[in-house]
Amino acid sequence: MAYVLSIDDLTVTLGDAERRFTLRAGKWSIAAGEVIGLTGPSGTGKTLLLELLGMLRAPDAGRYRAEPLAGETGAPQAFDSFWKAPNAIALCAQARARFFGFVPQAGGLLPFLTVAENVEISQRIAKRPDPDWASALLGELGLSQIAHLRPGALSIGQRQRVAIARALAHRPFCVIADEPTAALDPENAQAAMGLLIEAAQAGGTATLLSSHDFPTLSHFAMRRMALQITSAPHDPNVVSTLVPLEAQKTASAPQEVSG
Amino acid sequence: MLILRLALRDLFFQKVHLICNIAVLAGVLVPLLVLFGVKNGVYNALIGQLLSNPRSLQIDTSGNTTFTTADAELVRGWPEAGFVTLKTRSQFDFVNVRLDGGRQKRDAILIPSGAGDPNLPEGVQLNASSAAVSAQLAEQLQISTGDRIDVITQAEDRPRQLRVQLAVASVLPPGGVSGRAVLAQIEVLDLVEAFYDAYALPEHGITEGRSFAQRAAVFEGLRVYARGLEDLAPLQNRIEAHFGIRTEARTAEVQGVLNLGRNLNLALLLTASVASLGLAAALVFGFWGEVQRKRQVLASLALMGLGGQRLWLFPLIQALVSAALALIVSFALLGLASLIAEQLFETGLAVGGLVQMTGAQGAVIVVLVMLFVVASSLFAARAALGIDPATVLREGAT
Repeated sequence: MAYVLSIDDLTVTLGDAERRFTLRAGKWSIAAGEVIGLTGPSGTGKTLLLELLGMLRAPDAGRYRAEPLAGETGAPQAFDSFWKAPNAIALCAQARARFFGFVPQAGGLLPFLTVAENVEISQRIAKRPDPDWASALLGELGLSQIAHLRPGALSIGQRQRVAIARALAHRPFCVIADEPTAALDPENAQAAMGLLIEAAQAGGTATLLSSHDFPTLSHFAMRRMALQITSAPHDPNVVSTLVPLEAQKTASAPQEVSG
Repeated sequence: MLILRLALRDLFFQKVHLICNIAVLAGVLVPLLVLFGVKNGVYNALIGQLLSNPRSLQIDTSGNTTFTTADAELVRGWPEAGFVTLKTRSQFDFVNVRLDGGRQKRDAILIPSGAGDPNLPEGVQLNASSAAVSAQLAEQLQISTGDRIDVITQAEDRPRQLRVQLAVASVLPPGGVSGRAVLAQIEVLDLVEAFYDAYALPEHGITEGRSFAQRAAVFEGLRVYARGLEDLAPLQNRIEAHFGIRTEARTAEVQGVLNLGRNLNLALLLTASVASLGLAAALVFGFWGEVQRKRQVLASLALMGLGGQRLWLFPLIQALVSAALALIVSFALLGLASLIAEQLFETGLAVGGLVQMTGAQGAVIVVLVMLFVVASSLFAARAALGIDPATVLREGAT
């Protein structure tokens, strides 16, 4: 199951009549095995963008589709239309279970399950049991020896590796990682990011990761995109736009937006 | 079902919280169960004492009114009425009794009886030539079931005694009718009364006197037994109103016990209601607090695609399992409390008599507690439904 995920002017606006924040995701796509590093100053809406792409928030406008790659099986998915369905919550939950894997900042592991069970849980939810693949992931990420432990007994780095294994266990089309190395020291951060990218590419999974950690990102080959504020300074209607990093370099310097 | 397994794993992982919830529930349930059990035990003992004596259900007419068999039939048709019999004049109820072939005679009272008489043991049937005798009379005259007895009476102005031979259909248990008594059908008593009234009874060897055919079949009174204790007062009122007479019954005593039962039920209901309010508040906020505490866990599950619609089952399942465990603990503690109570208090009741609860009552309590807990967990279930899976991305986790 290999798809290309295409985003076409996906837009969402938050706030009220007096003060608004609009995120414009532009037009781009990501195919199986690709890695995109998403950067941008605080307050530009990186997490909001990941919520949109991870089927956690409804867009106000634009298209968000998944098309099977040429020669691949699978039905096209019009993700943006899921939100308009009467059973939107269930449809989006299904889409998350089937197409996406998530690596939150601090792991998001279930404290009552062991490492092995935390990895298997995404397979169970997606109804794609594959003990061999789960076991292979545990081995690849150096977790086999601690597979019987619960998250409470693990270091932060180990938890993050478990989260990476869990995100990949059900063979999603795309892994969405939000600041996956924020809680790690530089050495562990680089190792964890390397493992994530390597494991994702080995499984033919697209990777979308947001990070402030430019030095760590620079160690890996990936497409870079950045969010930047494109509205005028002090304009109460803030607009943040996603642009390829090359385009950003030619644009005016990104401005830090507080809050 | 994945959500069920996850909810249970989480529940038993957080043992301290589980124990707290069980303690909160059991802390309210155990005292209520003990109160309910004691109320049942004491009340059932009082009711049992009343029911063990058929006189508790008995209504006797008094006064100078006469009754016919039609009157008896009428009362027999009332739903509150159990056994109904006519009575002859009380001064003619005293007879002498002798075991057939025996030498000893004892005076005894002749009581009208018949099928359905609560004084008779289960299954004993009487006919015009059989009778039941009280334990005291049987003991003094060495009478056993199957023996024949002579019921003998003598009137001053009659040259011959009346002797009626009856088969003993039953010897009543010692706790039954007190004193020396013979229970026979009204026809036997009517015969005795006719003898006193100087009628000729040729089949009993008494040829002198008025013709029995001329005798009007009227009786001095009625003896009626209510179907149950609750029927006694209404039946007594109905008899008095219908016939315009006074009656005698243990209505005040019976009503006192019944009112005590009602008042105990009311007091228990009031106590349970007040306790339930407190428990409901504790459970609603407790379950809701659990959901808030587990927000990251629930959000993680939702993030991975475990449908939001099913997420509400998570707190509900945990609440139900906690309640089931609390019920097991509560009933175990109830058993323990009843053992201790029976050791502490000299009640004179049988073992297990002080704290009583039937299986049906237990089942109703289980269902009510489960429904109560489900209702208390709905707020938490709603909170679980409202959890945004993006929480995990925005707030970090574990």
